[in-house]
Amino acid sequence: MSSSPGAAKRIESAISICVIITLFLIGLAILIRQSDADMSRFGIETTAADLSGAGADIGAPIATALEAFAPSGFEAIGQTQIYTEGNLYEKIDGKADFYTDAGFASLSTQRFVSKSTENLWMELYVYDMGGIRNAFSVYSRQRRPDVPTLPDVQFGYETANALYFVHGKYYIELVGSAESDELMDGATKVKKKIRTSLAVDHDAQIAELAIFAPENLIPDSFKLYISDTFGFAGLTNTFAGRYEIDGQIVTAFFSKRAGAQEARNIAQAYHSFLLDSGCTDKATNNQTLRNLDAEVIDSYGTTEIIFVIGPFVAGVHEADNQRAAEKLAEILASKLSEVAEKNR
Amino acid sequence: MTEVSEKEIGRRQLLARAGKAGIAVAAVGAGSYLFYDPSAPTPVQDAERLVTLPDFSVPAETGRTMSVVTGPDRIRTVDKAIELLGGVERFIKSSETVAIKPNVAFASPPALGATANPELVAEVVRLCYRAGAGKVIIADNPINDAASCFALSGIGAAAARTGAEVVLPTDSMFKYTTLDGGKLIRDWPVFFAPFIKADKLIGIAPIKDHQRAGASMTMKNWYGLLGGRRNIFHQDINTIIAELSMMVKPTLVILDGTEVMMTNGPTGGSVSDLRRADTMIASCDQVAADAYGCTLLGLKPSDLPYLAKAQQAGSGTIDYESLKPKLTTIS
Repeated sequence: MSSSPGAAKRIESAISICVIITLFLIGLAILIRQSDADMSRFGIETTAADLSGAGADIGAPIATALEAFAPSGFEAIGQTQIYTEGNLYEKIDGKADFYTDAGFASLSTQRFVSKSTENLWMELYVYDMGGIRNAFSVYSRQRRPDVPTLPDVQFGYETANALYFVHGKYYIELVGSAESDELMDGATKVKKKIRTSLAVDHDAQIAELAIFAPENLIPDSFKLYISDTFGFAGLTNTFAGRYEIDGQIVTAFFSKRAGAQEARNIAQAYHSFLLDSGCTDKATNNQTLRNLDAEVIDSYGTTEIIFVIGPFVAGVHEADNQRAAEKLAEILASKLSEVAEKNR
Repeated sequence: MTEVSEKEIGRRQLLARAGKAGIAVAAVGAGSYLFYDPSAPTPVQDAERLVTLPDFSVPAETGRTMSVVTGPDRIRTVDKAIELLGGVERFIKSSETVAIKPNVAFASPPALGATANPELVAEVVRLCYRAGAGKVIIADNPINDAASCFALSGIGAAAARTGAEVVLPTDSMFKYTTLDGGKLIRDWPVFFAPFIKADKLIGIAPIKDHQRAGASMTMKNWYGLLGGRRNIFHQDINTIIAELSMMVKPTLVILDGTEVMMTNGPTGGSVSDLRRADTMIASCDQVAADAYGCTLLGLKPSDLPYLAKAQQAGSGTIDYESLKPKLTTIS
């Protein structure tokens, strides 16, 4: 039996195609394998993306390159660098967790150098925190005390070499290399440009701050803990504010939960956490707190108070003076009762 | 091709050609199989190829383990602090190569105190050369753009002024190490090349608040020797710092408390994060240096669990008083 030329040709073609497909599959496998290699294990590798690079496609952090924010008298050096949760540590090793725990989405940075003064520069950090609450959280927890607030933003302040403020979902830092009027003027111009050209949801507000009674409240002392409030993982989304009560500095806090039962569970868990940490219960003569079934705790010589009103877990944290702590707890309880009643 | 197709091909020829094609496919497949590595690419882990940093320490001298000098001028306080330990000649011999490991972790200006002070680094380089050092190298592994970190911190310029060589990290300078008795430092890349060439090692670190560790001082400074995705160690920060103190046995550490970063560390950002403490510590015992240094942050040694772990591992003593540190003030 002899094969026809047509049949032989078809067989040859089929074999050739098989060989080509096999080679293609091998090549593809090698390519996939290689792309999986983690070269950072072998030493250093900077993976920060710049806006012109392929790595820039990471959730489109900011539509505009930060070079555009260069103030007059300064020029941008290099391209905007972008960091995500996976490589934020490359920029702020040791502090990356602080941001990622608070909902961090991306960081864009850009340096601006003075055209006229040698070695004078500033660096712009734009943290996209995904929402104003997260941005406020990292802002408030790092706020330097006893420095002037910025007049034209809701949350912002300046130090001798830097500006810090919240712009919608962004937490923004402008850090100068030295104390210099030229730098601070430039930083102020950058701030203005950002406020006018970096689009955000201007209606976004943090309504909970209004719950704090204004009397005796220390200005700009609010803090928002997204997670791990006072070292306790179960207490999240907690607002704190400091008051001066009878000459004592005392911190009030509250966290709004999904409902009263959840609030009670968390309060109980926080109480247990403190007792497990070596704290002890102590008595109170304050009738309001007794009516609330509040827990009053000796925390290594300070007073901690925990109570629940409606969906709120609230209290006073590490007060040096029990009477001042109880007084503030009463004020907070009164405000929270009003809010809980209104929302019923 | 055309010619072939027009010819009559016999059965034998067809089988031969098919056979050759089959052999070609089989050869490619076999070759691929031979080269196929079922595990992910892994670094060389053979025990004999793991490296260990040399022991750079010098023999102990009673009463000359630690000194604390207070005063506003870093140059004068570090000179005095080293003098109180027996002078730089005790540590550096003629023609020796000295490696200096400053904290150059960030592309941050000297005014912010997030990195070792460049004037302090320059003075230590000068002292080494004055003692007859043949060569002084300065090395650190800041992950993000080492060149920028050295440039903006001023340490690159300080090295250039004083004749020290800055060694910027490259992939080939890392070797894998496993710390004997270590839990975290196992088959991990360490910035090795600059230090294997050295006879002596001096660490220079500022005192800083640290968001994870509580404080960053001389032992935390060795974190800059680690390569890879070292940020994973922040999940167990106390253990990694203690292990670093086991991994690195320096000749001397210098802990700069002239200006202390009290808040928002380790990056800082505002000059308002700094507080003047006007204190310089030189020590052959890194645990003792850090135990003293943390007091300048308003902390107690018991506030930093890594100190106890390091002491337990034999890296030094928390009880710095037991070393009878030399104390003096320079106005």
